[in-house]
This record gives sequence, structure tokens and C-alpha cells, in this order.
Amino acid sequence: MINRRSFLKQSALASTSILIPAFLQANKHSSAKNQAKKLVVIQLSGGNDGLNTVVPYRNEVYYKLRPTLGIPKQEVLKLNDEVGFNGVMKGMKSIFDEGWMTVLNSVGYPNPDRSHFRSMDIWQTASDADEFLSTGWLGRYLDKQPNEPTPYHAMELDDTLSLALKGKERKGFAVGNIAKLKRGTKNPLLQAVAGHHDHAHEENVAYLYRTMANTFSSADYLYEQSKIYQSFVTYPNHSFGKDLKQTAELIMADTPTQIYYVSLGGFDTHANQKGQQERLLGNLASGLQAFVKDLKANDKLENTLIMVFSEFGRRVKQNASKGTDHGTANNLFLIGGNLKNPGVYNPAPDLLNLDQGDLKHRVDFRQIYATLLDNWLGSSSADTLGKTFKPMDLV
Amino acid sequence: MIKNSAKIQHLYARAGFGIQLRDYDKRGQLSISSLVKRLIQQGKHPNLLDEQDYRINIEELKGMTKKEKVDFRKKMMQETRMMSINWLLDMAKAKEQVLVEKMTLFWHGHFACEIKNPLSTANYLNTIKKHALGNFRDLVLGIARTPAMIRYLNNQQNKKLSPNENFARELMELFTIGRGNYTEQDVKEAARAFTGWSSSLTGDFSFRSKLHDYGRKSFMGRTGDFDGDDIVDILLERKETAQYIVGKIYRYFVNEKGHSARIKALAASFYESNYAIDKLMTTIFESEWFYDEENMGTRIKSPTEYLVSLIKTLGISFDSYRPLMGVQKAMGQLLFKPPNVAGWPGGRSWIDNSTLMLRLNLPMYLANQGEMNFKVKEEFEDLQEGKSLKKLQAKLNTKELEKAFASYEQAELYQQLCDFLLLTKNKPPYSVFQSNFQTISSWNDVSTYALKIMSLPEYQMC
Repeated sequence: MINRRSFLKQSALASTSILIPAFLQANKHSSAKNQAKKLVVIQLSGGNDGLNTVVPYRNEVYYKLRPTLGIPKQEVLKLNDEVGFNGVMKGMKSIFDEGWMTVLNSVGYPNPDRSHFRSMDIWQTASDADEFLSTGWLGRYLDKQPNEPTPYHAMELDDTLSLALKGKERKGFAVGNIAKLKRGTKNPLLQAVAGHHDHAHEENVAYLYRTMANTFSSADYLYEQSKIYQSFVTYPNHSFGKDLKQTAELIMADTPTQIYYVSLGGFDTHANQKGQQERLLGNLASGLQAFVKDLKANDKLENTLIMVFSEFGRRVKQNASKGTDHGTANNLFLIGGNLKNPGVYNPAPDLLNLDQGDLKHRVDFRQIYATLLDNWLGSSSADTLGKTFKPMDLV
Repeated sequence: MIKNSAKIQHLYARAGFGIQLRDYDKRGQLSISSLVKRLIQQGKHPNLLDEQDYRINIEELKGMTKKEKVDFRKKMMQETRMMSINWLLDMAKAKEQVLVEKMTLFWHGHFACEIKNPLSTANYLNTIKKHALGNFRDLVLGIARTPAMIRYLNNQQNKKLSPNENFARELMELFTIGRGNYTEQDVKEAARAFTGWSSSLTGDFSFRSKLHDYGRKSFMGRTGDFDGDDIVDILLERKETAQYIVGKIYRYFVNEKGHSARIKALAASFYESNYAIDKLMTTIFESEWFYDEENMGTRIKSPTEYLVSLIKTLGISFDSYRPLMGVQKAMGQLLFKPPNVAGWPGGRSWIDNSTLMLRLNLPMYLANQGEMNFKVKEEFEDLQEGKSLKKLQAKLNTKELEKAFASYEQAELYQQLCDFLLLTKNKPPYSVFQSNFQTISSWNDVSTYALKIMSLPEYQMC
């Protein structure tokens, strides 16, 4: 029986097949063993202030060092006897209460770098602080795939591609808006030369042609995929909410994309932090709440894992401009229907044991990456990360 | 057999940013060796920036409030961005000094450095230009004294009682001898030799003798009261340094795949010449293998090379530079803002679905055909946040181009323009080109053909 969904899927394939050369079409249906498992990475850019996100509401040092910026105890959404969410994060509190979230404290890396760019690169490449890698951890994951993955196996919901998704041989796929992506491919000359493959190309030129043909076929395919499922859940009307809605719709349409990468920016709160950060945390929580509700209603939450991180946390002591400056270790959230250890994973940071006013990391973020690679994505973390990290009991 | 004219074109593509029309007409008569000589000679007298123009009044700074200081820093950053655009336009404008501009771009990637103020930028750029085709030793020592690099690699914090190893480490790992040729102890000792190398508030190099460690150091098997210059000399005495630098130059100017026998031979003569960069480049450009088919049209242009070639060929002038900066950023290369001290990785890493489509569609956007509607990732401490690129606000001047190709039509026009614009061995056949050809109403055939040819993937190659 042909239902609407499979009909649309077939016609989506049919419409792209005009363009794509045979060697690409062969990959269309390839599905790796762990394809069903999805990873959604959410990057909070700018350095989210973790201490005002997961608030140590019983810690006197916290209130002493943040006399005006500290979140009052009565506003905190308590997670346990020690910490609680910022009051604007009700949506995340409800996810937590369902047992679908693991909160990790003091996540970072040795010799922390306080530059946004550098620290973000360290997180995205999974390098040591004094090592410069030009490939990202998810890009290298793509490189390690035994079979040629689809061009959109790892997708970033943005017009440009982050280093995290750039491998040596393979790259993720950047798409800020699917309709816009499709419009950008409407160049008849390029469409024609993309289809014209009967002359041999030098390998770099071939790489350009392959990338171009993949972009065209992916644009058509994703455009059709995006029409299959219309979410009935109401998502908040901000761009982060829209990105998550787009992600959900692609997941529900059984798109063979395994990794989604979404960013939420603006966390660099050196001055007048409270309003700005709480607006962003509110967006984060409301977006995630809708997303998780949508996934759950469609039986996709079990097979989806969401990781929320930021390139660093902020200094414990507030500054003179009612803000906070660049810091080090931070909290990280895992969300999904299949967590081994939902709840608050480890104790709140020790504010009496600081490194020149900054938090000391207790968990290397690459331990989390390694665990995700080995236990969730079914890959080898040692290959992808270049060394072994102590696994954790997360998924 | 590759024709001399094709060789000349290849030389201009690699030693510069593509052949200019006036040279293209004469390409049949030019000899490689005289052209190489000319490029090298003209590069000996580069156009430098007047650093005095960028000096700031320190006294003024002292009386500023906190907010004024923040605004001032922002202004400095904006001015630096403007300088990066100006450099790009200088590269496009250069008629005689194309090689020194190209070498400077190469060295900027080698001595990769993020700079946030105009004087340091001018000084850093001048330092490279002065020595780009000179002696590598002078170049390293010059760079080691630029406030730009000192700040970027924290050498102002490198003090006798608390050494900071950042500069010393990168000097060895990335700037001279390369990984695997030194020990951690060498890094520590070298850092001591550079203690006190700092920069003043005015933005000049300053040697702070009180912070310098005058003690004995053991570095790479030698012992003495070495200072920074001695460390550089010891590094340059090691043949691995010549090998490392030549390898990088070969992969940039000849072929990213390298060639160990040639690199070894070139490194030996580079070492023998005491690191004379001009001689090295002459040898490369005059060698037979430089013009082998496998080396021609096989390099993916960097965003800077691509934009410069575009601006040159189409005579582009911009009404506003902000969109151009956005394009540079979206393509992944802002000058004076490398991703890290290792520079831009280059090659295929420039290309993903997003950057490729932007590149392929750019000629049409420039002709104001279609909205770009492209969002650039947010910057943290920068000028603006999450802005959208819509129009490029550019004017094209294609008069010369039209004049040069006016006598050709259709298939022949296509062939002639492809020869001029594309360096790849294969080009799409005219039948494919012409069957999907849409005229651009406001342009004549020569310009329309040129714009379309420049939209082909082949145009991304040099």
C-alpha cells in the first residue's frame, strides 16, 4: 500500500534522480547500522554562564561572589538539594522531571583557553589546548564511516558550516533554510554542467563537481523531505525554535540524517547579564520543551540524544558591569529517552577550590564525546579522537 | 607539449593572482626567465604603508572613561578590518608587484597572526613585505619583533621569573623547524632567551632588559647565554628548517601533494644560499616541472585568491565594504584573522556545500542578478552580530574585457574566454554552456559570457 508519506518519499527520490549521477544515487538508500540513532548537538555560543544556569542555591560563596547577579534561592527550580535551574528554564525542568535529562557539572579541559574562538575550536575539534587541528570531531566521524554516507548525514542548521562538521575527506551539510537552499541551486548553467559528467576531471576539480552535484540533489531531496511531516506541536517563534522545528520535521520524515547541529548565540554577557542571559535561557528551554514533546509524541525520543554545550563558562565573581567575564569549566546537558543516568550526574563545582577565580574541570568534554561515539553512534572513539578517554556511564 | 603562452598564464596564476589582459595579449612573446626576473626584481621594492599614519596619541587614551575605551577599541578593530579590505584591493590593483603580494599572503598564513589594532597591522604587513622575497632569517627576526606577534603569542608575558613558552613553541613547531625536531626542554630554554621581548603602549618593539633572563641556556645541544637572535640562528643552522619551509612553499606554489625528491633538492640549495627566498622562488618558477600538467590548474583558490582574481578581471569597485567582509567571512578567510596560529589549512578544506555555492553564485550576485540572502555566523566581540548579506553594492567595469574579446562570437567567444579565464585542462563543452545560457539583459555578450564562465567550478582553480 502506498500511503502519503512513502509516496512523497518516492517522488522526492524520483525528482532528484534526474540530476544526480549514478555513483551518487547508489548511496541514497545505504543505511548504516546505527542510522536510527540520532544526535542533535546544540551549541550555546559566546560562553554561557553555567553558574546562573544550574544555580548552586545553597552555596554561600556563590551569593558572596555574586551579590547582585546571583539568582535568589526562591526563584530557582530545584533539581536536588544542591542545585536548581534558573527560574526562566521551566521547559527544561519539565524534561528533567520526566527523567529525560542528565546534567553534568564542571565539564572542561586541561589548560583552559579563555578566547572564544580558540576555546570553541578546541570543543569543535576535540583537540588539546596546545594542539591545532583542522578537522572537527563530527567531520572525522564522517571520515570513519565504512560506507559513503549521504551528503546530509551530518547537517548544520545554518548558512555556513562549523569546523566541528568538517572532516578531511567528508564534510557535513550546511542548510539554514531549505527553501532558500533550493533557490540557490536554481542556476540553469550550473545544473547543466553538474549533469555533464562524461569528461574526466582532475581530482580537485572532481571534488568541486561532486560537492556541487551533492548540493543540488540534497537541496531537492531535503525540500521534499521537509514537506512530509508538519509538526502539530507549537514551537516558540524564535530562530532557535524554528531550527528545532525543522530538525524535528526532518527526523519525523525518516530522513537518513544522523547528526543535526544547531546553534544559539549571544551568551557573551560581560555587561548587564541578567536580562540577556535569561532571555536566551528562556528560548533554550522553551525550544527544547517543544522539541522533546514532538519527539516523544512520534516515538522518536528513545532514539534521539541531544547534547547542549558552550565553549566555556564564566568567572565565578561577577564584574563591575553587572556581568561576568570569560571563565573555564561549565555544565553540559544530555537529553533523550534512553539515558543511563538521568538526573544530576556529579556534584556542583567546588567554589572554595578555584584556579585563580575560575572553576576547575572535573570531566574532560572528550570523555563525553568518546562515550557518545562508542555507545551511541556505534563508532570508535579512539579512531575519531586520536586517543582514548575514560568512558562515562551516560548512554 | 605545453605552449609557452599557457606556461606564462600558469606562472601568473601562481606567482600572482592571474594574468592581466595587457600581459595576456603579449603572452606569446614573453620568455619565462625574463618574466621571473622581472617579478622578483619588482618585488624588491614593495609599496609599504606609512606607519606614522596609524600612530595613536597615548595621552588621549589615558584620560578616557571605561566606555570611551570600549568604543576606542571597537574603532581600532573596525579600522583593522578596513586595512584587511585595503590589502585585498591592493592585491587586485597590483600590476608589477604581484609576486610580492602573493608571497606576503603566503607568509601571512605561515606567520599566522590575529591583529586587532591598525599600527600593529601596518607594522606586521610592512615587515613581511620588506622580507617576503628577501632573506628568511631577516623575516623570522622581523616577525619576532612585531608587536602584533608578541601580543598574539603572549610574549609580553614572557618574563625571567615566569616564562611564557607560547612564542618559543610556535617559533619551532610552525615557523621554522617543524614538529618532531626539538624537545620540550628546547622549548623551555628558547622561551628564556626571548624573555623581555615586548611591545610598548605606543605599539613599538621594546626590549625590557630587567625582565630578560641573561643566564646560560642549553638549546639543541649548545650552551651559552643565548638571546632570541641566537635561538633563531641555531634553528636556521639545522637543515630541517630549510626542508620544512621549502616543503610548505612547494605545496603552496607548486602542488599540495608535495614531491620529496624536489623538495629535498630545493631545500639543499635554499640552505646553501643562506635562506635567500628570491633564489628559491626563481629556481621553482624556472624549473621544467613547475609547468608539468599535474601542476597546472590543479590548485583550489583560497577565498582571497578567488576574490582578487574576480575583482581584477571584472574591474569591481565596491560602494560599501561591509558586504565584502561578510563574503570573506562566509568563505572562511578574513585577513589578519586566521583561525589559529597554524594558519588556514587550505586546499579542499575551503570547500563545503555552503562555501562552494557562494563562490559559484558570486559572479551573478556581483552583476546584481538575484538576492544573496546569506546569513553570516555571529561574531563574539566583533562589529555586528548575525547579519544577513543581501546585496554586494558593487560596480563592474568590463570595458577592457569587452574590447579585447569584441571580435569573437558564440562558440569562438566561449573558447577564447575560457582560454583566458580557466586554467584547468578540461572545460565544459560549448554545447552544454550554450544550451543553458540565459542572457543578462544589461550586459553585452562578452561580459555575460565572462560572468557565466566565472561561475563554473573550473574558475575556482588556479
